[in-house]
Amino acid sequence: MKAKHLVWLRRISQALFLVLFLFLLVETRFPDSIYLEYSLAVTTEQDIRLHYPSTFFFQLNPLIWLTSLLSGHIWIKGFFWAVGVILLTLLLGRFFCGFVCPLGTLHHMAGRIRPALKGKKMIEANRKRGSQKIKYFLLLTLLISSLMGLNFTGLLDPISLFFRSLALAVFPALGNGIKAICDVIARSDIKPLNLLSYGAEVLVSPVFGYGYQSFKTGWFIGVLFLVILFLNRIRPRFWCRTLCPLGALLAIFSRFSILGLEKNNETCTDCKLCERDCQGAASPHPDQGWDHTECLLCFNCSGGCPENALSFRFKWSHLPSRGPDMGRRAVLGGLMAGISLPLLGRLDGNIHAVSDPRLIRPPGALEEKNFLELCQRCGLCMKVCPTNVINPALTEGGMAAFWTPNLIMTLGYCEYSCILCGSVCPTGAIKEISSKEKIEQPVRIGSAYIVRGRCLPWSGNGPCIVCEEHCPTSPKAIYLRNEVVPRSDGKESEVLLPYVDLKRCVGCGICEYKCPVKGRPAVLVIAAGESRSVRNQILLDMQGGSYAQGGLASPRRERVEQGKPFHRLDRR
Amino acid sequence: MEETMDQSITRREAIRKGLIISGSVLLAGTLGRPDLKSPVALAEQKKGGFVVEGVGKAEGYSVAELTKRVFDAAGGMQQFVSKGDVVVVKPNISWARAPNLAATTNPEVLEAVIKLAFNAGAKKVRIVDNTIHDARRCFALSGAGMVAKKTGADLIYPRSSLMRDMKIQGHRLDVWPVFTPVIEADKVINIPVAKVHTLSKLTLGMKNWIGGVGGRRNALHQDIHQTIVDLAQFFKPSVTLIDAIRVMVKNGPSGGSESDVAVMNRLILSNDPVAADAKGAGLFQIPPQSIGFILLAEKRGLGTSDLTKLNQQQVIL
Repeated sequence: MKAKHLVWLRRISQALFLVLFLFLLVETRFPDSIYLEYSLAVTTEQDIRLHYPSTFFFQLNPLIWLTSLLSGHIWIKGFFWAVGVILLTLLLGRFFCGFVCPLGTLHHMAGRIRPALKGKKMIEANRKRGSQKIKYFLLLTLLISSLMGLNFTGLLDPISLFFRSLALAVFPALGNGIKAICDVIARSDIKPLNLLSYGAEVLVSPVFGYGYQSFKTGWFIGVLFLVILFLNRIRPRFWCRTLCPLGALLAIFSRFSILGLEKNNETCTDCKLCERDCQGAASPHPDQGWDHTECLLCFNCSGGCPENALSFRFKWSHLPSRGPDMGRRAVLGGLMAGISLPLLGRLDGNIHAVSDPRLIRPPGALEEKNFLELCQRCGLCMKVCPTNVINPALTEGGMAAFWTPNLIMTLGYCEYSCILCGSVCPTGAIKEISSKEKIEQPVRIGSAYIVRGRCLPWSGNGPCIVCEEHCPTSPKAIYLRNEVVPRSDGKESEVLLPYVDLKRCVGCGICEYKCPVKGRPAVLVIAAGESRSVRNQILLDMQGGSYAQGGLASPRRERVEQGKPFHRLDRR
Repeated sequence: MEETMDQSITRREAIRKGLIISGSVLLAGTLGRPDLKSPVALAEQKKGGFVVEGVGKAEGYSVAELTKRVFDAAGGMQQFVSKGDVVVVKPNISWARAPNLAATTNPEVLEAVIKLAFNAGAKKVRIVDNTIHDARRCFALSGAGMVAKKTGADLIYPRSSLMRDMKIQGHRLDVWPVFTPVIEADKVINIPVAKVHTLSKLTLGMKNWIGGVGGRRNALHQDIHQTIVDLAQFFKPSVTLIDAIRVMVKNGPSGGSESDVAVMNRLILSNDPVAADAKGAGLFQIPPQSIGFILLAEKRGLGTSDLTKLNQQQVIL
């Protein structure tokens, strides 16, 4: 195969994987083409799940596999894909960065299309630099920190970062922009224009979300993403060379790569085209320190060489004599940061004390400590949620829980029988449960209480039973009593007053969402009573419910059941 | 604020007149002919009012057959649907619940009605409801989506571009966002499911029109009976078919357990919306006169709760 063909092969592979990534991202939504069959059996207990394996790229990702193993001591679903990537990396080097990684492809495009730098400046920008060691520092920070029980890999992992940026910022921004246009057209009184807007809405809603999703802190996620993209104008694939922890991990595993670069010094005219186009800043001169750990296998050097002086060959003799150039400072720094961040993360008191009342985790989420060991903050649960209730946390869970999923009941509510978030979680931080489990155990995410001062009937402002009407449990957790309340005109009136039965409440939040008192509703859901926590309980006869009684057991809880010792702290 | 509101109304009215002039031909094929006869006029007291009760007594009777017989007793579906009509069926699919929980209109009844409408020559049948839970989940779980797929009816998802401020001209509701496919149909068939409700006591035919509007629906409860009647005089279905095959007798209107459901195997068909609800109230042994919205609706001249004034029939299968 000629070197030029390899470049095209790489481009085709990059395009296919990018398209696949985008396709799976778009399909991470409530599948609106599934209609349950009713004639076979009137009682339908089928669960609605996704058509496509939306976690594929996360399973392919060795960094997520390794950090989940280190922090949560679990083998995540489909991790053999990641093992396969590592095995191939051992032989080939960082083929994942050059051929597969969708974020890498985007960076590649951002750096190549109308490049900001030309000629000598580009050659200069593509020189190897000391700053490329930063990625090892970040990798070590993430690995050590995971080992210490705080896994924030997803903040920097390219797959999580790309998914989060697209799903929580780019797509919602485009979707809401299109909606703004549709709304203007829909407001028109000319019928064909109305139809046009309806048609546009029907067409774009599968891509941008049926209900026009938007997310708290979405702007920040978007700005960061734009900054990372912009860095490609300063140096091509800045992210991949300098920051990407997955790239660093793969670089370490490329230790035994037998695919090496060879150069025919006789034909080389030293035109430096290879240096100009090198994506990894790996100085593509085998005799002058070509760094195989920095090489992204883009094949630009061999494919672009006018004299065909460069070529990639399989040879045992290519076995590199040394490992990746990490630098002592990066290693020590990584160790220090990896140890300190988990410790600092606990200073908020959110791990060993009962957490913020407004930190409401998705149904099936593990208890907070185990949850933070596994959550990637990738945004899959947030993207798939049909009501848009799951949002990235800002401060609710402290530093350690930044951008982890948090349910904000004024923005949506948890649908009683919906289990999609758990079914897409790539690491099992949210356990996969069935509708039946969710309803029958039940899986509680919090509990509601009435704020009597704002409640319309309680405050004498008139009848309203909206919270009770929407309450999904049977019998209803919100019940009504006919009582006499004073009115502003001095008279008294008989109204139905809402009360909450904590034993029945699952914390779904539809009462808070539908309450006519907007902004700060008259019925609020707090995390207390959530099934996942042993400590965060209100009633004496609730023992962290379903989690302790099996079904949703966390790794630690399983040890308790087997009679093995566990940390006293967990039980405080 | 008020100024802009006034403006939008006058503009819409001006355009509505414009539409009358330019004719409905423009889009008749795609979204049906808009109902240009003022939709706000009060329902006329119907001559030849009827109420048909269908009872499925036989073991394993066919719901579809019972539906057909009930319509036949009223002269057949062709009494209500003409050839080439765009028909909107308005089931109650408020909740994402499986059919056995009776929180939503029975899919077998829905399917039967749609088939009858197609057989009577309907050009298009649209299933329309502004649901409470996420519409996709409601359509998927209640069976309405599968009905659409099987029968070829269109499933109309509630979307913001289909909501439009309109003059309801009620006693309580003046201008309110309306789900336009309902009023743009040639014929409307209301197919509610009978349930109990804590505030309005029952939810039957007239209350089903809360699913025909958008906006701040959770504020309607502050004067529930009056707003139900306001909506009932705005939406005028050709006929109302109350599904009481499975009836939610407690924990309404969302239920959630089979123990909340009583199997009654009944259907009630009437061209008088008040009579349909009055007859429906009988299923729960509640006197119609004790239900606020039935009283108010009768006072408003929307129909009669005195069933003896109507041609009453019973069909037993």
